[in-house]
Amino acid sequence: MKLLRFFLLATALAVFGSLEARAGDIKVIANPSVGASTVSADDLKGVFLQEKSSLSDGSHVAPVLLKGGAAHEAFVKQYLGKTDDALQTYYRSLVFTGKGSMPKMLGSDAEMVAYVAKTKGAIGYVSAGASVEGVKTLEVN
Amino acid sequence: MHLRLKQLIWIAAICATPLALQAQQFSVDGHSFQVHGYVSQGFVDTGSGGNNWLTMNTSDGSLAMTEGAVNISTQITDKFRVGAQVYDRDFGQLGKWHPQLDWAVADYRFTSWFGVRAGKVKTTFGLYNDVQDMNFLATPALLPQSIYPTDLRDGMLAHLGGDVYGKVSPKHLGTFSYTGFVGERRDGLYGGYIYLEQGSGIDFTSFGGLQYGGDLRWYTPLKGLLVGYSGMNQHILGTGTFSQFPPGVVFTQQSTKNQTNQFYAQYAVGKFRVDSEYRHYVYNVNLGNPQILWVFYDTTVPGWYLAGAYRVAKRLELGSYYSRMWAGYTTDYPGDVQPSTVSSPDRHCYDKVATARVDLNRYWNVKVEGHFMDGYGNTEVYPGGFYPQQNPQGLKPKTNALVIRTGFNF
Repeated sequence: MKLLRFFLLATALAVFGSLEARAGDIKVIANPSVGASTVSADDLKGVFLQEKSSLSDGSHVAPVLLKGGAAHEAFVKQYLGKTDDALQTYYRSLVFTGKGSMPKMLGSDAEMVAYVAKTKGAIGYVSAGASVEGVKTLEVN
Repeated sequence: MHLRLKQLIWIAAICATPLALQAQQFSVDGHSFQVHGYVSQGFVDTGSGGNNWLTMNTSDGSLAMTEGAVNISTQITDKFRVGAQVYDRDFGQLGKWHPQLDWAVADYRFTSWFGVRAGKVKTTFGLYNDVQDMNFLATPALLPQSIYPTDLRDGMLAHLGGDVYGKVSPKHLGTFSYTGFVGERRDGLYGGYIYLEQGSGIDFTSFGGLQYGGDLRWYTPLKGLLVGYSGMNQHILGTGTFSQFPPGVVFTQQSTKNQTNQFYAQYAVGKFRVDSEYRHYVYNVNLGNPQILWVFYDTTVPGWYLAGAYRVAKRLELGSYYSRMWAGYTTDYPGDVQPSTVSSPDRHCYDKVATARVDLNRYWNVKVEGHFMDGYGNTEVYPGGFYPQQNPQGLKPKTNALVIRTGFNF
């Protein structure tokens, strides 16, 4: 009975805690070599969880992530359905079972834009207000 | 190599690992290679006069709980990757610093719904089978031993063969992920079952055989809820010799049925996660020497656990689980009589566990964990982590254990 009460309390804390974590505005960006101008939420999730290596139009893509921050937290929650801790655990489980690799991770919006601009097939995300010179913005549908 | 020298090398590796964190990626002929690894060191204390657990002398407090691995991999094309990992451990009498090829895989993903892997492949089974050695991925210092017994990991961990795998996402039905596998199981000679049989005067020289099965998991439309099923059949042959009565005579163990069925579910929302798994394991074997004595054992081992974890703060996660396993058998071995009820301590092991995990940074964690165990499994056919060789005075019905574990990964 005590164990059940603990789990019920923890679930309530988790639910109320997650309500406060609202998704901020973010932009999904890609290298100009990527042909698509839109990307489905399913494709985006598949690419960042290393289940897909190309978009529906056949464009080969490689995911790039931010190391942290509000845009990263919002992207991971909104499009991948995970917390950052869960995502890092997921990537490490792929790496240490031979089923995937650790994606590139960058420290800021500026680094992200610079890397995506020069790397063929790169796809990433930045905060809504970040400069996106040299990359294309993908609409998520 | 002298045991103390090996431990010193591992401790030095643990201390030096932060320096290695930068050396993770390099390029050769335009191909990018990634190198990753981990080391962990544990301490287990079951108290003076208590049972010794997991083949360690834990009643005196034991540091003989060291493991680590290093891997290298590269993406040859956007669909094709290769890699390999070497693993080593010293857990009491298990592993004993004999490094193993943990996995070596060539993986080609044709589409998101169909891919193939071949080589030595970690077996996808239940929530944590393929990652059970990677302690830094889990909340507890020891996964529930009813489902993931660290002393018996060899039986399920990997197969020499291949997988087919993929994911499909029917509209409004979530995502289904499947894996089918077939291959050969080859147990190392430093695992728990081999060690158990040494205590009975049997020295195995080989243990393994055909293994095939599959896993199907459903990421349901309810966000955060995963349910799944894994099943496996095995045809196992073990060969060795008697070390006693009389020494050198050939011993054979051949399974006529070896089946595992496992059901599992996970619900993860925000900082909270609940896991539960149920496994039903049945194995029937003929063993001995046909010219001397050939006996039959029919063993059933059900087990389950319920676990929860909550990330209280950025660097602190609390967890708890309740784990139950029980084992029973029938045999035609003359004079062998097992206790009649599951309530007997030598028929079950029930474990209540509480854990605190501290993430000092992204790469380094420390865990402090308490185990409150009732029973010690069936030392005749399926030990619950308790071995007669470490407990010559007999086993007490209850064991409390403190486990402290730290690990680096990069």
